[in-house]
Amino acid sequence: MRNLLTPKNLRNLILIIVIIGVLVLSISGYLTPLFSFSVSPLISAQSWMSERYLAFRDFFGSPRDMATLREENASLRGEVAQLQSEIIALQENLAQADILYTLLDFARNNPEHEYVPASVIGREISPYLQYIIIDKGSNNGIRYGMPVVTQQGLVGRIDAVISDAARIQLITDAGSAVNVRLKTANVEGQVRGSITGETSLDMVPIDAKVDVGEVILTSGLGGTYPPNIFVGQVFSMQSRQNALFQTGSVQPIVDFSVLSAVLVITNFEAVDINPLVP
Amino acid sequence: MLIYLAYGMSFILAMMLQYSVFSRWTILSGSPNLVLLLIIALCLHQRHKRFWILVLVMGGVVGFVSALPFLVPMLVFGAVYLAAEGLKQRAWQTPLLGMFLLTFGATILEHTLMIGVLFVQRIPFSFSDALVKVVLPAVFLNMFLAIPMHAIVRELTLWLYPQGAQL
Repeated sequence: MRNLLTPKNLRNLILIIVIIGVLVLSISGYLTPLFSFSVSPLISAQSWMSERYLAFRDFFGSPRDMATLREENASLRGEVAQLQSEIIALQENLAQADILYTLLDFARNNPEHEYVPASVIGREISPYLQYIIIDKGSNNGIRYGMPVVTQQGLVGRIDAVISDAARIQLITDAGSAVNVRLKTANVEGQVRGSITGETSLDMVPIDAKVDVGEVILTSGLGGTYPPNIFVGQVFSMQSRQNALFQTGSVQPIVDFSVLSAVLVITNFEAVDINPLVP
Repeated sequence: MLIYLAYGMSFILAMMLQYSVFSRWTILSGSPNLVLLLIIALCLHQRHKRFWILVLVMGGVVGFVSALPFLVPMLVFGAVYLAAEGLKQRAWQTPLLGMFLLTFGATILEHTLMIGVLFVQRIPFSFSDALVKVVLPAVFLNMFLAIPMHAIVRELTLWLYPQGAQL
């Protein structure tokens, strides 16, 4: 017992009691004002030092950050430009897809024909000739004389074919003549093109009553085009004295200036009646 | 060889541009003929004795690709070559004037031949419509495009004939 109460052990015991006492006081909250009083100068000093350090770092680091920001800005601008070009490309694809879907709809609604879709890749070099070039040819089953339509109506017929392209004579060409039927009046006539790309109605019987807006369909006469394809509408009519037929102007249903995709009817064979013509 | 290759490539490029772009550039119903302008500019700048063979080949290609009667482009291009040879001997100091003269003359010749073809094929058309809506706008557009075409072919020629550029 006497060995236990040595001065060293007694000091340790007092130290342990003091520590326990401080812990108890700390846990019970009695030391909080004391801590606050002693810590607040340290926090203030730490804040001051931190602010100075941040100011120092900003002062020397900001030029480098500006350069980085400029680089990032340029990079982002490039990315925005690239995304914008992608958006434009996608919009174009969407427009093309819309056209193709419409053509597909037309093909589904007219199942009596077989169609080959084609894109328009060029227009004739001479302004006197109304021809277009498409990107499908004999490799795709396209042959001379096949009729060409869009979802709106008649476009023309195949005039020349090579393996991967074909030339189409539009119904607006001066050398084109389409035998037509006026739907309501139930009379036949002929739609002709011109060197300026306008279309006119000819060979309409003089006694036929034709109203403006009359729907014009192919008649199938002559075997060049299948019957009942929409050609256009009568824009105006005129009959001259002593004339054998009425004539008029036609508003084609197809806008040939913005033609970008067409359908070639591949299961229709045009009949060549030239040997029978006297 | 390089010269003929460059001329051939420029001809193909002009054909593609004509079919895809310039045929859609219309005033009324007239459109420019970039291929004809290229042939005129090449004929004015070339320095080969056998260039006429290339001109006829180009005319044949246009006659084959286009719906024009086969002989029309060959005749027009041949006439352009002959006229350019004559002009180079007389008006060589003013090549741009030669370009304008040939552009005007060749365009009128081309359209006259086309009107003649329509007439022979008995295709009904109005002569005044042809003149006002096709010929005059086409002449205007060709004259308008003659200046840049002349400049481009001149640069091409200077690149192909470096000795000529030094002279």
